[in-house]
Amino acid sequence: MIKLFSLRNQEKEGNDSKSGRVNQKKVSAAVLRVQKDLNDLNLPKTCKVDFPDPDDLLNFKLTLIPDEGFYRGGKFVFSFKIPPGYPHEAPKVKCETMVYHPNIDLQGNICLNILREDWKPVLNLHSVIVGIQFLFLEPNPHDPLNENAAEMLKTNQRMFEQNIFKSMRGGYIGSTYFERCLLK
Amino acid sequence: MSGSISPSKPVDKSNKYDRQLRLWGDQGQSKLEKARICLINATATGTEILKNLILPGIGSFTIVDGHKVSGEDVGNNFFLEKSAIGKNRGQVACELLQELNDDVLANYVDENVEDLFQVNAKFFSTFSVVIATDLNERTLLQISSYLWSCKVPFLHCVSYGFIGYMRIAMPVHTVIESHPDNALDDLRLDRPFKEFRDLCDACDLGKMNVKEHSHIPWLIVVYKYLEIWKNKNNGNIPKTYQEKQAFKKLIRSGILLNKDGNPEMEENFDEAIRNVNTALSATKMPDDVKHIFEDPECINIVNKSEPFWILVRAVKEFVKSEGEGFLPLRGVIPDMTSDSDSFIRLQQVYRNKASKDVEAVNKHLQNVVSNLSIPCIISEAEIRNFCKNAAFLRVLRYRSISEEYNSPSTIFLRQMAQRVEDEDDDLVYYVLLRAVSRYYLCYSNYPGIYEVEDDIMNLKSCVTRLLQQWKITCSIKDDLIHEFCRYGACEMHSIAAYMGGCAAQEAIKLITGQYVPFNNTFIYNAMKQTSVTVEL
Amino acid sequence: MSSDGSWPDRWNHIRKMLERGGPLAHPEFEASTKNLDGLQMLRILVVGAGGLGCELLKDLALMGFRNIDVIDMDTIDLSNLNRQFLFREKDIGKPKADVAAEFINTRIPACKVTPHFKKIQDYDESFYQSFHIVVCGLDSILARRWINGMLVSLLTYEDGKLDQTSIIPLVDGGTEGFKGNARVILPGLTACVECTLDLYPPQVNFPLCTIAHTPRLPEHCIEYIKVLLWPQEKPFGEDVSIDGDNPDHLKWIFKKSQERAQKYKITGVTYRLTQGVIKRIIPAVASTNAVIAAACATEVFKLATNCCHTLNNYVNFNDTEGIYTYTFEAERNEKCPCCSQIPQVLSFKEDAKLQDVIDYLQENASYQYKSPSITTYINDKQKTLYMTGIPSIEEGTKGNLKKSLCELGLLPGQQLIIADSTTPNSVVFKLNLGSEMD
Repeated sequence: MIKLFSLRNQEKEGNDSKSGRVNQKKVSAAVLRVQKDLNDLNLPKTCKVDFPDPDDLLNFKLTLIPDEGFYRGGKFVFSFKIPPGYPHEAPKVKCETMVYHPNIDLQGNICLNILREDWKPVLNLHSVIVGIQFLFLEPNPHDPLNENAAEMLKTNQRMFEQNIFKSMRGGYIGSTYFERCLLK
Repeated sequence: MSGSISPSKPVDKSNKYDRQLRLWGDQGQSKLEKARICLINATATGTEILKNLILPGIGSFTIVDGHKVSGEDVGNNFFLEKSAIGKNRGQVACELLQELNDDVLANYVDENVEDLFQVNAKFFSTFSVVIATDLNERTLLQISSYLWSCKVPFLHCVSYGFIGYMRIAMPVHTVIESHPDNALDDLRLDRPFKEFRDLCDACDLGKMNVKEHSHIPWLIVVYKYLEIWKNKNNGNIPKTYQEKQAFKKLIRSGILLNKDGNPEMEENFDEAIRNVNTALSATKMPDDVKHIFEDPECINIVNKSEPFWILVRAVKEFVKSEGEGFLPLRGVIPDMTSDSDSFIRLQQVYRNKASKDVEAVNKHLQNVVSNLSIPCIISEAEIRNFCKNAAFLRVLRYRSISEEYNSPSTIFLRQMAQRVEDEDDDLVYYVLLRAVSRYYLCYSNYPGIYEVEDDIMNLKSCVTRLLQQWKITCSIKDDLIHEFCRYGACEMHSIAAYMGGCAAQEAIKLITGQYVPFNNTFIYNAMKQTSVTVEL
Repeated sequence: MSSDGSWPDRWNHIRKMLERGGPLAHPEFEASTKNLDGLQMLRILVVGAGGLGCELLKDLALMGFRNIDVIDMDTIDLSNLNRQFLFREKDIGKPKADVAAEFINTRIPACKVTPHFKKIQDYDESFYQSFHIVVCGLDSILARRWINGMLVSLLTYEDGKLDQTSIIPLVDGGTEGFKGNARVILPGLTACVECTLDLYPPQVNFPLCTIAHTPRLPEHCIEYIKVLLWPQEKPFGEDVSIDGDNPDHLKWIFKKSQERAQKYKITGVTYRLTQGVIKRIIPAVASTNAVIAAACATEVFKLATNCCHTLNNYVNFNDTEGIYTYTFEAERNEKCPCCSQIPQVLSFKEDAKLQDVIDYLQENASYQYKSPSITTYINDKQKTLYMTGIPSIEEGTKGNLKKSLCELGLLPGQQLIIADSTTPNSVVFKLNLGSEMD
């Protein structure tokens, strides 16, 4: 049994009675965790993170430049927003580059299980980035967000590859225009 | 003297009650809104119970209380005010409680419960539930026996120091919607019905591309591989652990391979494998329901039979005939990986089969009723709801408080001897509360009201006599007896509020016929925040 | 009658408990007529003035507490009235904290409830430090974690030993339908909210591809409208996000959800369900709130008076089938990112450079950090002082290494948040500036 101190013996000061010390904002659990995640981030050479404001660790961009697979040579930018409930809640990630991809829709929504139904607090930013990278190596046509792209990948892989290339170079796939995102 | 305060304009009830409608639905709410509640004695515990019934919107309440408000009453009761000291307690509480909800009709009777009961016992028989606090043993036994004979549910609630006590008494309570927390799905994979077999047979896993193959609901996957298994195993389904492991392996072997020879990601197959253990557990008649079928009220349907029993009887007849020994199909499947069409079709097959069963039950129902001289007032929707919940039906038979006092159950007495000496068992507080009321009968006061030390010996002798009467040899720690004298019958507000929440919820269960009330005694120990329920 | 509006016998019930000893009382307990005065002096903070908060205020006021503050950022809604019993229809739209406080102050003479119509984050340490006990009645895990973190950060240590007078006990309650829990947290001594984060169920999220292409449940249809269609169609304008309290928004979502459900032959999209999904409504009843708040109030009373041992340390409650309680001792997590840290002090001279701090952390035998990153808060804004590993940040912050701590705007008492690959969590250091070094 814990021997409790006597509360009544404690003199409590009212508000604002403290002086001569910095009144600091409480460090949020999300910030503590994100800083740790970032510190431990061991990114593959295909990935880069950029902070528009280095003082704001909760908002950043990921740039992915795959060096193999269907999307090699393309440059894809993702926005990461870390919610205050992190890591109880998953980071919010959107793809800012318009991409012809079975698991990413034209609004930039990404279908990646660990971003939604399978998120757990033990996961971290590294897991998410690896997950995204994997999605670009192995797009999954069976649970698509972009059904056209998925159908193409299943039925005509060559055409699928050509479409990707066309979209990355900048051009129309069907009636949808894709901005150029190919390096060089 | 009595009075009432009438409600005013209506409001948007579905919005106002939204958060609770999600728990007991419009059906439950409408029963609640018709309920008439009687509270005997507006103690802190009493008004806290009423508060939690008025807020969700019971029809009306009536407080019976002949006490004048005292200084200490105002000190622990939120629904009394200083200015009320000396006035009738029921009246003041009635006024302040009424403010909580304009939908509720409020009444009070300024009479002692004993007096009112002597002149007009029938008054109490008009309520949906009667709730009492602060009753002495004699009155408790009188009133509870009377209500028992009228079949009016009775709830007795006590807050005593750090201990709470509650007792429900009524001959029988039936529950259709018990809302079990972790109910197994009713899938019948061990004995698939024709419509389900037809659906599965029409689906050829071999002719599917990966997308289709990976979106076949796992129910169908399991069925398919079960057929293969049964063919190889004389029609038996996997039962032992080894067999189930082998069966999982068989399912896994069905996962398609990609061009590199690696298995595709097929979530539905993973789900099938994950669900093997539960999905293959044999469909059976729940013991509780079997028991209900053997209840005399089910066997002897008469004109006065409650709709519940008529329905039970109809379902029983169904089980004997079309059901082939099993309940009507629930008709609900869990969500699972699937394309929309396959899922909806599968869902429809289960729903249709359930509807068919409902129809069959309805026929039996008409049969049962046609032998009676009364028209059937049970709607199709009620039959449907009954069938859907058939596996979770509950019938609670209670013992009366007189039985508890006059012929304690032998099982209970046997347990009691051991249990009162167990430090982690709160049952000992039942003995102490009984001893306290014995003390009150002897000394016309509660132990420790004025002095602690002086009363310990007397309370102890009450305990001893009680144990002797029960012919139990065990001892109750002096420390506990001392603690009870320390309480001096004090009713601390937070204990009253705790019991107020518990008691109100039990009353709501009794009124709505949803969720399962305890049977029959609940003890709360606020020292450790523990509790125990025991049937006495 | 006494001058404070009290009256004879008012406290008879609790006096019995406070003025009599007993073998089951806490060993520290001394029966005395002064106990009531002591209790009445204590400052209690109630966080949340909703279902639990209303109950807590009533319970505490009737258990003798009269120095209570309540903080809540919400206003009153019609759907609160089935349980938040201090509010009436006429109060709809007013701040919960204000109405609740006024009601209690009127009903319970000499009880002074001070309302704060604020977010918990609007106040800093000096506010929270002024209370003896904090009780939470919240529906948000985030807010609970924040309060927990705040109380942990108020702990002080001397030579690595916890100064027990710096402990502000946290009593926390939560409910959902017929289920609830109550717990007592002695920050720094017993399991805190972060130690047991896995006790809180994660949010249910459906896979995006299910929502987008293979809906099966009515909920999937509603989520589709919420997650995918709304941002695309922006039905109420460019920057208008969904407001669950706006009936026009709900009606639009309801209609679109119905259309989608019809398309897939899914049944069961109702207005009530739509509302439930969009607002993530948790069912709530008066009774469960009453029970859990009462358990919390009892624990506050015990903590305040020692008249009985306190709950050790967690109780679950469920009254769907009978009434079931389960009491257990939640265990501390030795690696808890929140309470396992003993705040450490780094002492440097004002003219020391940031590089000196890094060097110290790398070279000092008790740290031996590999590549520490350092952030801090300056004027309530987070500031990254130095971080390697992320080239863009390293580039932007390496200039800081040559600056003195003074030039960087760091003050005595400044918190430095330091992460390193060698530590399981980020660590908060307190900066001691001046001539005290060595």
